[in-house]
Amino acid sequence: MKLSVRRWSGTAAVALLAATVTPSAALAQSRAPATPAEMVAAYDALADTILGANRAEQKLVLAILAASHGHAQAELARARAALKAGDAAGARAAVENLSTAVGQIATEGDNAVAGVRKRLLQGGHHANSVGEAQGIYEEGYVVVTKAAKQAFLESAKAIAQLAREPKAEALDAEWAKVEATWAKHVASVK
Amino acid sequence: MGEGRGHLGEARRVREVGAAKAAFVVAALAGILAAEAAISGAVPAAAAPPPEPRFRFVDVAARLGLTRVLEAGRPEKDHLLDSSGAGAAFLDYDKDGRLDVYLANGWRLDGARVAVRGRNALYHQRADGTFEDVTEAAGVGGEGEWAAGVFVADYDNDGWPDILVTAFGRNVLYRNLGNGRFDNVAARAGIEAPGWNTGAAFFDADGDGWLDLYIAQYVDCTLQDVLDAKRTLWWRGVEQVAVGPFGLKGAPDHFFRNVKGRFVEATEEAGLKDLAKGFGFAVRAADFNGDGHPDLYVANDSDPNYLYLNDGAGHFKEVGVTSFSAFDGNGAAQASMGVAAGDVDGDGILDLMVTNFSEDFATLYRGLGRAFFEDASRPTGVGPATFKPLKWGTAMADLDDDGDLDLVIANGHIYPQIDRHPELIGTYRQRNLLLENRSLRADVAPGTPPEPLFRDATAEAGPGFELTRAHRGLAVGDYDNDGRLDLLVTALDSPPELLHNESAPASWLTVVCEVPGGTAIPIGATVTVTAGGRTMTRDIAAGDSYLSTHDPRPHFGLGRAEVADEVVVRWPDGTRSVRKDVRARQILVVRKGT
Repeated sequence: MKLSVRRWSGTAAVALLAATVTPSAALAQSRAPATPAEMVAAYDALADTILGANRAEQKLVLAILAASHGHAQAELARARAALKAGDAAGARAAVENLSTAVGQIATEGDNAVAGVRKRLLQGGHHANSVGEAQGIYEEGYVVVTKAAKQAFLESAKAIAQLAREPKAEALDAEWAKVEATWAKHVASVK
Repeated sequence: MGEGRGHLGEARRVREVGAAKAAFVVAALAGILAAEAAISGAVPAAAAPPPEPRFRFVDVAARLGLTRVLEAGRPEKDHLLDSSGAGAAFLDYDKDGRLDVYLANGWRLDGARVAVRGRNALYHQRADGTFEDVTEAAGVGGEGEWAAGVFVADYDNDGWPDILVTAFGRNVLYRNLGNGRFDNVAARAGIEAPGWNTGAAFFDADGDGWLDLYIAQYVDCTLQDVLDAKRTLWWRGVEQVAVGPFGLKGAPDHFFRNVKGRFVEATEEAGLKDLAKGFGFAVRAADFNGDGHPDLYVANDSDPNYLYLNDGAGHFKEVGVTSFSAFDGNGAAQASMGVAAGDVDGDGILDLMVTNFSEDFATLYRGLGRAFFEDASRPTGVGPATFKPLKWGTAMADLDDDGDLDLVIANGHIYPQIDRHPELIGTYRQRNLLLENRSLRADVAPGTPPEPLFRDATAEAGPGFELTRAHRGLAVGDYDNDGRLDLLVTALDSPPELLHNESAPASWLTVVCEVPGGTAIPIGATVTVTAGGRTMTRDIAAGDSYLSTHDPRPHFGLGRAEVADEVVVRWPDGTRSVRKDVRARQILVVRKGT
């Protein structure tokens, strides 16, 4: 059955091609061959879509980062409140979560996001191919540069190490570093 | 301070940690100075005399009968499966006190045709130290699968060591029947998990006395993909080589909970879902945060590594990034192949050694406690020494019996094509590396500038370390019970190497941990020996190195000490056995409950 459908399709295609080619061949005597304008327009529209998707990707990653930043701020507030109340266990848990959130800013999301990023790379999509070639971005990263990643990772580690015996001043000092990196590398991205 | 590290008295531990940290700072400083001197071309003020050869290893594999060739795809290695190799294990399957050897095997391909399905091999060690091939009699040839790793554990607690063979295809679980024969029970046990299975670790995640199992998977592809593979990746613009792992699809890892000898898929329930589908190669279970429960480290090729912390009930949280063990010190994911765990700086905290691709450091993650790590590759000398080769199996082992853990690394490239351009990064066949731990060397001349913790001792390690092959798996064990650790190394398209340790003898102690009426190998037990003013801890694991399993008997170099002041075995259930004033140079049997 499949074979006969394919045969029919092949025959139809040849007939269609013959019908199209005959007048074109006549025209070719007077005009140089050119890509049909409709196809150029369609490709142009597709390019808008592709480039628009890139822009959408950047916006989505910024949203992911903003969510992690928001989580971090919430955990910081929770840690401060717990410290004020003398709740050591609560403070420890909040500081651990804060560290995780900062780590997720560094890596533009958690392992689930990494899986998506990997799939895009498998498909040949690099959000910052020029930046990657220049050594500014890691493969597949959209917003966070290598330098920013390193700074966030250092902060995540430092915060995690504070979790055992959290101190408000040390936490504030480390958070100030996170905010500085955020302002420089993420908030400035338009 | 958790139970896992409670074996040291707190005061002593603090003292020792302080001393170890000081030593580490000196070593780090030395590393930086040495690196700066090397960069500036400066000559040290007082050059140390070359150290006397401390190691000597000789390959005795062929002479003793270990001859099975590791089949490895096509000669040109058109697909990553052609070059990923297979592992080896030391085990005592018949409990005669002599280590036997198991070798996993791949397939040989001829273009897109399967030419040979390699057979795995079990070698029984005779009383005279030679090995006899008992594969057929034992029924452990591999069931026709393209094998990868070998992991030995007593999964059913019947007192006999069983063999898990991970595979590209279906995993094989050989249950030891106790009469020299084995039965493949993988399907019945529920762990066939078809796919490209690689590293694995048996460990008791939930403390119920039954060994659970984590199996890493690498790439999601079919046999047809492998057979059809073409070398299309341009390597430095001069050669076309096998593609991957970038461009290929990662495969998710699996976790199986052991319910009285039957495994139940529990990956998601345990919090171990491989969300990033990392290209998993090696797995190591150990108590990395010192809370008395086994955690899990997974080395991924080209992806961030994972560190899963165990809540004690067998549920896990992934903390690789915040523990600083996911990336190198620059925050970059590395192409990791193998992993080893141990305490290289003697501070009572586990460190991690992760081997990586060529032209990149092997990463020594120094444990800081509570599952925090720092990349200490550069200051310890590990990084510069390991930069060039492509690194696979690795182990932390006291190869000179001086009381500290040396590092050994199996090397070999994956692209045979690089041999046409040896000026670029060397050759496809490579030497293995031996890095001597210098923390306990007493022969340093006064005035000698401080040195990094590790020194490349490969060139002085005897003919066994002159062999150049495409090495892969590595297992450590004292096969001849002479108190010196030997090395079993696999290599593509080659028979194995059994590197007999003929280094200058020193004092030693090997501990056999026995559970009467229970498991043959108490995985997760730790043994702590105090001797000569030093305390050393080793654990028993199934899953370390690359696709391989070491001798399950913890081994301790004692230097010049002829007596161990104390030997403490901490069993997986938290109970302890203690021995005092133990004579050195013996294999000490410690039975649980005594």
